[in-house]
Amino acid sequence: MAVIETEGLTKRFGDVRAVEDLDLRVEEGEVFGFLGPNGAGKSTTIDMLLDFVRPTAGTATVLGYDAQKSPTEIHQRVGILPEGYGLYDRLSGRKHVEFMVESKGTDDDPDDILELVGLDPEDADRAVGGYSKGMAQRLVLGMALVGDPDLLILDEPSSGLDPNGAREVRRIVRELADEGTTVFFSSHVLGQVEAVCDRMGIMRNGRLVAVDTIDGLRDSIGTGSSIELTVDTVPDGIETLTIDGVSSLTARDGTIRATVLDPSAKIAVIDRVRDEGATVRDVTTSESSLEDLFTAYTTDRETAGDGAEGVRA
Amino acid sequence: MSWSVVARKDFADAVRSRMLWSIVGLFAVLMAVSALVPDLLGDGDPVVGYSIAAGLAETLVPVTALVAAYLAIAGERESGSIKILLGAPHSRLDVTVGKLVGRTGVVVVGVVAGFLVAGVVALAVYGNLALSEFVSVTALTAALGLAFVGIAVGISAATSTRSRAMALAVGLFFVFALLWDLVPLALTYLRTGSLPTPGETVPAWQMLLQQLNPSEAFGQLVDTALGGADAPGAEGGAAALAGQVSGPVPFYLEDWFMLVILGAWTVVPVVVGHLRFRDADL
Repeated sequence: MAVIETEGLTKRFGDVRAVEDLDLRVEEGEVFGFLGPNGAGKSTTIDMLLDFVRPTAGTATVLGYDAQKSPTEIHQRVGILPEGYGLYDRLSGRKHVEFMVESKGTDDDPDDILELVGLDPEDADRAVGGYSKGMAQRLVLGMALVGDPDLLILDEPSSGLDPNGAREVRRIVRELADEGTTVFFSSHVLGQVEAVCDRMGIMRNGRLVAVDTIDGLRDSIGTGSSIELTVDTVPDGIETLTIDGVSSLTARDGTIRATVLDPSAKIAVIDRVRDEGATVRDVTTSESSLEDLFTAYTTDRETAGDGAEGVRA
Repeated sequence: MSWSVVARKDFADAVRSRMLWSIVGLFAVLMAVSALVPDLLGDGDPVVGYSIAAGLAETLVPVTALVAAYLAIAGERESGSIKILLGAPHSRLDVTVGKLVGRTGVVVVGVVAGFLVAGVVALAVYGNLALSEFVSVTALTAALGLAFVGIAVGISAATSTRSRAMALAVGLFFVFALLWDLVPLALTYLRTGSLPTPGETVPAWQMLLQQLNPSEAFGQLVDTALGGADAPGAEGGAAALAGQVSGPVPFYLEDWFMLVILGAWTVVPVVVGHLRFRDADL
């Protein structure tokens, strides 16, 4: 069963196309990473799933309910960490959790929730007006966990958290996923998503430009490693050479860089460069990462990183 | 009952506002002073004090109610806490109704507290509470508060930012407190070509326009409840209108219709505001 399904989902604010013709399907039990730079339309999409924003066209279904017709049924079963939320500064953290428990009509113990997200009991009794961004983020994550939701929608959950806090968020997400909760996790930072997600979708300028598993996306870059040689002089015409297993070859300022499809081709590159009469002073190799892919999909081609060119070509 | 969860949280949040309690405190002090005025004038009648208190409340309660409620929804939209509120399983209607109920609770508590102080002063100074007048003026003032909470929640539901809600609330306050008094003058001038002269009667519809102001409707009801104690010898309420209106007093100038007017101000702005809120992108 699809937990989230959108068809032709579109939102325009005046002339601005925030989300354009989005077809998205998130299956039960998966952790889905929703990636893209700020302003790509991630939050607008989430706002439409939660009926905070009404689509210009298209439909969104969450847990089988139409997002615009049955928002309260959806919210009863979904835990939400929204983007750009505010809190009730005069109320304590515990009161916030209690409000969510009462609203959902569940029997969660607020103390258990607060402990799970690592909010100290003393802090929980203070008014949230004095909370740091990280504490607020933990609190709202805790509120999202109330009622053991079938689906967790987290919009930039790591923003404002230190690396430790971000790691903890990933741990909580992983635990919930292991219990069968579907998680929809948006971020503009690939590293946050890569470690926990089964599949990811990449948004750019309101459009979904790629959806696949992590492995699938890796495959689409090829094995995607590269080798960089520092040489005394760059032989003439080196960029026009054809070497088996090498997808691109560039040279600049005493450095020759090759993107290889097959790791064994790295040696071939070194041999060939030496055959051309250059002395190799240093060798560095790198595995091209999903970061390169992300960069390729989310920036204009002209400015895309080297490691990504093979993908776009 | 989803709206009641919203109302309870909203009440709990609003009563923690220092600003609100300063206004309520000021209101209580003024009510107490009002109750003392007859004594200072050498008059032993607490009802005269209630009448003065009601006269003050006519301006103070709208201010208090507008301040207490104009940010009810717009403030949450600006701060983003609306995403927490609506992220819980509450519909937008639950939020509007819950806010109306929660803020009404705050204003009613404030009004009742203020009048209780006045009542205690009256009892101490005059040894006599004049219970039925005390209760009616308190209840009518609460109803006036409710009408302005309705107006403020309506404004708040219709706007997306703090500043717009404030501009509308301040604007409406001046319309009701100042501008409205000019309307009868202007209408008389347009009808007769000259400004009104004392003792002149006006058409009933013009009187209705004047009484559509919730504070005027409240004033008429208070006059009736206190039997014209503020102007000894005069009759209160609708009876007093008989001499001012040309022809018989129609139903829409009778006292019960003033309650309808207050009720309409409670409900209509909320409905209109809610329709905008219902369709808004947050």
